[in-house]
Amino acid sequence: MDFGRPQQGERVRLRMRNLYILPTRFGWLWLSGTVLLQVIGVQMQSNGTLLLSFLMLSLFLLTLHLTHFNLQGVELGCGTPAPGFAGAPVPYPIRLRCPGRSEGVRLRLGGEASGPPLSLAAGEHELAVAWTPLARGWQRPGLLRIQTTAPLGLFCCWSRWHPETAQLIYPARRAGPVRLLAAGSAPLVGEPALASRQDGSDDWRDLAPHRPQDSPSRLAWKLLAQGRGEYAKRFLDRPEAAPLLAPEPGLPLETALEHLSERIWSWHGRGLSYGLELNGQTVAPGRGVLHRDRCLTALACCR
Amino acid sequence: MSGAAAPLQWLTMGLLAVGLLGLSPALSLSLLAFGLAVLTALKLREARSLEERRVVALLQLVCAGLLAALRPELAPSLLQGLAILMALAGLLALELGAGPDWKALLRRSLQVLLAAMPIALVLFLLLPRLMPFTNFGAGQGMGAMTGLSDSMEPGSIARLAVSRQAAARVAFPLGGEPPPLEQRYWRVMVHERFDGRSWRSAAPSFARPAAGQPAPPPPPAAPGEGIQLWLIEPSGLAAVPWSGSGRPLSADLNLQRSGELLNRAPGSQRRVYALTEKSDQSGWRTAPPGPIDLLLPLGENPRLEALAAGWRRLGSNRERLDAATGWFRGQPFRYTLEPGALPRQAPLDHFLFESRLGFCGHYASAFTTLMRAAGVPARVVSGYRGGQWVQPVGGTGYVDLRQADAHAWSEVWLDGEGWRRVDPTAWAAGDPLARSGAAGAGSRAGGGPLDWIQQQWWGLDIAWARWWLGYDGEQQQALVARLLGDRSHLLGVVVLLAVAVSLAAGLGGLGWLGRRRRGDPLRLELERTLRAFARQGMAPAAGETLPVFAQRLQQRWPALSGPLEAFVAHYQQQRFAGVPGPIGRRQARRLGRALRRSLRAGNRSQNAVQREHP
Repeated sequence: MDFGRPQQGERVRLRMRNLYILPTRFGWLWLSGTVLLQVIGVQMQSNGTLLLSFLMLSLFLLTLHLTHFNLQGVELGCGTPAPGFAGAPVPYPIRLRCPGRSEGVRLRLGGEASGPPLSLAAGEHELAVAWTPLARGWQRPGLLRIQTTAPLGLFCCWSRWHPETAQLIYPARRAGPVRLLAAGSAPLVGEPALASRQDGSDDWRDLAPHRPQDSPSRLAWKLLAQGRGEYAKRFLDRPEAAPLLAPEPGLPLETALEHLSERIWSWHGRGLSYGLELNGQTVAPGRGVLHRDRCLTALACCR
Repeated sequence: MSGAAAPLQWLTMGLLAVGLLGLSPALSLSLLAFGLAVLTALKLREARSLEERRVVALLQLVCAGLLAALRPELAPSLLQGLAILMALAGLLALELGAGPDWKALLRRSLQVLLAAMPIALVLFLLLPRLMPFTNFGAGQGMGAMTGLSDSMEPGSIARLAVSRQAAARVAFPLGGEPPPLEQRYWRVMVHERFDGRSWRSAAPSFARPAAGQPAPPPPPAAPGEGIQLWLIEPSGLAAVPWSGSGRPLSADLNLQRSGELLNRAPGSQRRVYALTEKSDQSGWRTAPPGPIDLLLPLGENPRLEALAAGWRRLGSNRERLDAATGWFRGQPFRYTLEPGALPRQAPLDHFLFESRLGFCGHYASAFTTLMRAAGVPARVVSGYRGGQWVQPVGGTGYVDLRQADAHAWSEVWLDGEGWRRVDPTAWAAGDPLARSGAAGAGSRAGGGPLDWIQQQWWGLDIAWARWWLGYDGEQQQALVARLLGDRSHLLGVVVLLAVAVSLAAGLGGLGWLGRRRRGDPLRLELERTLRAFARQGMAPAAGETLPVFAQRLQQRWPALSGPLEAFVAHYQQQRFAGVPGPIGRRQARRLGRALRRSLRAGNRSQNAVQREHP
């Protein structure tokens, strides 16, 4: 079931006016089963069959309301969405405030398949609903469909809503050529923890008293064997020139941005330093999550 | 889809299969039920998607409905109810996601069923019943199962097996009394057609459906009239037992001229029917005999005919009957279940003048033949005699008839009186009824506890038959008439209102059930206790911990220190226990109750002290 006027606005409260309810195919089948049992009951003059038929009819009437109660009074709102990449499923936070218990709730954003049915107790819930953005930039996730068929699957109750909060979408990650520019600034000293984990065997620099959290491979075994106490070796990375990344000339801008996005992601994963030059604006070379996000945001918002 | 869905649905299939076991395969509707059950099982086996599994649940419900039509008795009905509960739980498991376990699903299923029941009952009780569309299925295909058959040939039976199988039960729900033991003759079939060897019934073996319009329902029993409620086990016969007096209360029952009561109710294998207890309109007693009631192949039993020829000279039928009675009483007849087979030549001569051993069939057959030879219209009637009176705990008493109670006797036509019952078996030495009568009516009650349980169960069964199976269109009309009087045109409005009210009640009840379980039971218990103290003006201050507050309470009520300490210690221990269990909760409830009780008791004694020393 998927029709009806979508709701707009920051928050939506589901009520009579914006909830739709209709029997499912199974519901119609259930009614025909009821009629069949009624016929058998009349023909055989059997009280049990007649009562079962009336029972099925009254279950039909009852679940009409029970299904509606699942969504009645539920308030929908948005959380603060975290950025994600285009072309891959991205979680979008939906806040639900249920006045009572809501059963079998399925949420669906855009053209995605709906998730598993959820049983929500009364109170606030924040659910992550996946959607797949196609373009970069500040994107709205499209139509949110909330529906339930609980408890018996005889009725489908649903509502539709356009969440207003936009989500920042980085360009999709696709491997490809990237232009490297010489760094405009001096090489910088990386964060020590990251550096020593990356290529710690580069240069031995000095010794420090061994702490329990130090790796055994850092232990100066020779000194220990000589009985001079427990020391850990300290290493330092070889300072390297951090390049500036720029779009590969000759490629369409979107493709070049996707290559840049992939390069930034993989270099960040390897702990390398990099800068970014885009449309004449420069992000100075650096490392770390904040730096990566600054670069990716610049890619996402590039015009 | 919950993991419990598939096991629940298979369990439902199992229950339905057990319910199918008792069906007779001869009935076409039971073949339909078999087929439907097999198809449902196959569908369940190959079902993968949610949609298919839902359809399986619906098929299971339809299957249960078919079974309910075929087996309306108490025990199968309980089984069907369980199957319906399970099928609903399976359907719930499909919808509610992976969360709930078996127990929760079954509880939920029961809640939903209970909530839906009021509407169903309103519709069931108030909606007018429709008549069956056709008479399809009436009286077909019931195998012969009882000790009675429409042909009786005692001479060929050397040894009569005594079966303790249940045959029928008759209850007198409106405070009626069963007739005394020696008067308990329940007639089933009348055998008029005699070929010298066997007695046959002239009536058709099952009733023909009434042509054209169905007969109008007979008026219900008058208040003081009393009712006999019969429950009979499946038999191949359309004729059903009755006492010979009374008026059938259902249009399905048809009283023949011969005094046979034919049932043409469709379908059901076991039948329930009601008669008024006493009635003056038993016209069959005075229906005059026809030539068939004197029919006798001459020359078969020469000595018998010679004996009867002497009585022929007597003036009236009554004198002939007296003569035959006197002769029978004078002979050394003896009752036995193993008389040996009679010779093919002159069998009744052999029985009457040589062996003088036999069971009821021999006596009825020989006596009736004698009377016919003497020119008195006579016929053999078969049915049941006696039966044990059972009074279940807290239920309606009933007479329990077994196949061993099957009996045959004679009826002779007396001018001015009509058909009179004569039981020649009673004149023989060793008649079982006379013996059991001498030993007291309860001689068969000496069974073990199993018999006792069975008797109680049958008592329930009678109640079930009376209140549930007996609720038919006429009862429904009587109920509507009682509720609405002459304003029956308002029935539609009343039904709609009642449905709306019961729907609201069902929804409210479900909401209440859902709320009742909300919240932490330990916390609820604590709040209940704190409220009790708050009523006495003691409430915890802001930021005060429970032990500190408890100390404050102890200072005010020193007598409470014992239960207070126990409650607080247990609360703290449970609150910070790793896994709070149900035993701990129960203990908390017990301690809390004890604390509140001692608080009340302390206040009472304090008040009493204040009153004494103002």
